[in-house]
Amino acid sequence: MTLRSSPVSSRSVPDPELFSRTGQGGAREDRMRDGWIGEWVDGWNTFWFTPTDPLPLALVRIAVGALLTWSSIVWLLDADAFFGDHAWLLPSDAWRMNDQPWQWSGYFACSSAPAIRLVAVGTLLAAVLLTIGLATPLAAVMALIGFVSAANRAPLNVFGFDDVLGMLLIAVAVGPAGAVLSVDRLMFPRPPSALRSVRATLAIRLIQVHLCVIYFFSGCGKLLGASWWEGTALWGSIANACYRTLDLTWLANHPLIVNALTLATLLWEVSYPALVWPRLTRRIVLGMAVAVHMGIGLSMGMMEFGLAMIVANMAFVPAETWRRLCRISPPLIESESPIEVKRFGAATQ
Amino acid sequence: MSPATPHPTPARTPTWPPAVRVLVTVLLVAYLAAVILPPLAGPPPASELANAVIQPFRPLIGLLSLGHGYRFFAPDPGPGHSIRWSMQMPDGSTRVGWIPDAVNDRPRLLYHRRFMISEKIATFVPFVDAPEAVRIEAKPRWQPLVKGVAGQLLARHRGQQVALQLVEHYLPTPEEVIQAHNGEDIITPLGTYAFPEGLLP
Repeated sequence: MTLRSSPVSSRSVPDPELFSRTGQGGAREDRMRDGWIGEWVDGWNTFWFTPTDPLPLALVRIAVGALLTWSSIVWLLDADAFFGDHAWLLPSDAWRMNDQPWQWSGYFACSSAPAIRLVAVGTLLAAVLLTIGLATPLAAVMALIGFVSAANRAPLNVFGFDDVLGMLLIAVAVGPAGAVLSVDRLMFPRPPSALRSVRATLAIRLIQVHLCVIYFFSGCGKLLGASWWEGTALWGSIANACYRTLDLTWLANHPLIVNALTLATLLWEVSYPALVWPRLTRRIVLGMAVAVHMGIGLSMGMMEFGLAMIVANMAFVPAETWRRLCRISPPLIESESPIEVKRFGAATQ
Repeated sequence: MSPATPHPTPARTPTWPPAVRVLVTVLLVAYLAAVILPPLAGPPPASELANAVIQPFRPLIGLLSLGHGYRFFAPDPGPGHSIRWSMQMPDGSTRVGWIPDAVNDRPRLLYHRRFMISEKIATFVPFVDAPEAVRIEAKPRWQPLVKGVAGQLLARHRGQQVALQLVEHYLPTPEEVIQAHNGEDIITPLGTYAFPEGLLP
């Protein structure tokens, strides 16, 4: 495909017609499709706006709801110390850890212990509703509000687990997360053919892209460290007693194993944003993700973080695979020549 | 359909009208910028350009709590930090403890939430043998955080005053582990704190 400078490059505002792919665009769209920009527009539309099966999103919803339920219970165990007037981090100092405008929190409006518990219990309730899929759209928004309230009020106490939880909750709030595997669906059945939606695609794509951003920057950050190049970085985690839940210090006698594990982790993380997309390498990359995150969870006591990352990786598993694994019958679809599938590679698993 | 698509759909399945897709595209670009820019402009080293470009997106980043650096275990996994506290009680006794407390902070997620207190404060506190100018400059950044921790400890245990130390736990090399040798922890005093006239909240 050759590049053309005119008239395509003179456009500064996207023409809505360029986004049409259903036969209404006319000759101009056809010309655009022939060009480089047309390819981009087609690719963008296909990537973000192709209606898809909401099953993977529903599975993510159940998992993220369960994780948020657990997280909310733990916040509640010491709610006053996290969110109260004499918390670990005073309300007036929250900005020191996260100085962004619009850094809001429901807890900033709470000065009494009952009010703090009310917000925390409300988040817990929303998380439970999200997990079972009852009043799912409302529960997803309330869960996100409760999550952000906690993260913005207690930035001294959050870590990677919360970063990933927030990413997943945003996607669950965007998409039709209660479309299947939910109490909502039991109460209000819909024909299977009506389930596919663009919002489901958007939500899953948001997770996929965000996850690639996380691995990209995490991998690039590691490239700054000498111990990752030397193959000794994993020893830094193994020997750190503050994290240790599984004693792996016997690896001191096996430096080559530490080298191999370190380099494998580095190479996997750096290459993840590229290798997770092709069907040929996706299973290997996702398998590594499960191994690495379960390893972190078991040996460093960060099981919640490990599980949240694995849940995020679930976004790359196609609906057909989930349906096969869970023995769920597929939704009915209209039969038509899969033109776009053919054009862009058709990789679903 | 692009690779790794959730699940393909035949072309006839209705999608959104062009105008809606344009609007959603604008929102998507803003959201993706709010996701990508914080790690780019975040933990040093970071460019001036990234810090300039991020400014219009900061409200959105704050709104959705997206201001993360994503530098997990980077650049190098370092030593762990704890806060050791010693509290004078009203009856004259002394009570000591740790943040986090590996024995009593259960479940593990609660331990990690408290562990983050010492880990994050440690990023602001220079070593005890750092030049005085460095220590003086850093103090306004970490002391308000330490005051909050001290206040919570005093309120929790009903103490009179509390002294805190930041402990950087020695990270042994493989050779030291084999020889059963461990080095010295680095201890940095964080000060002694009390509520005015011993008044507890």
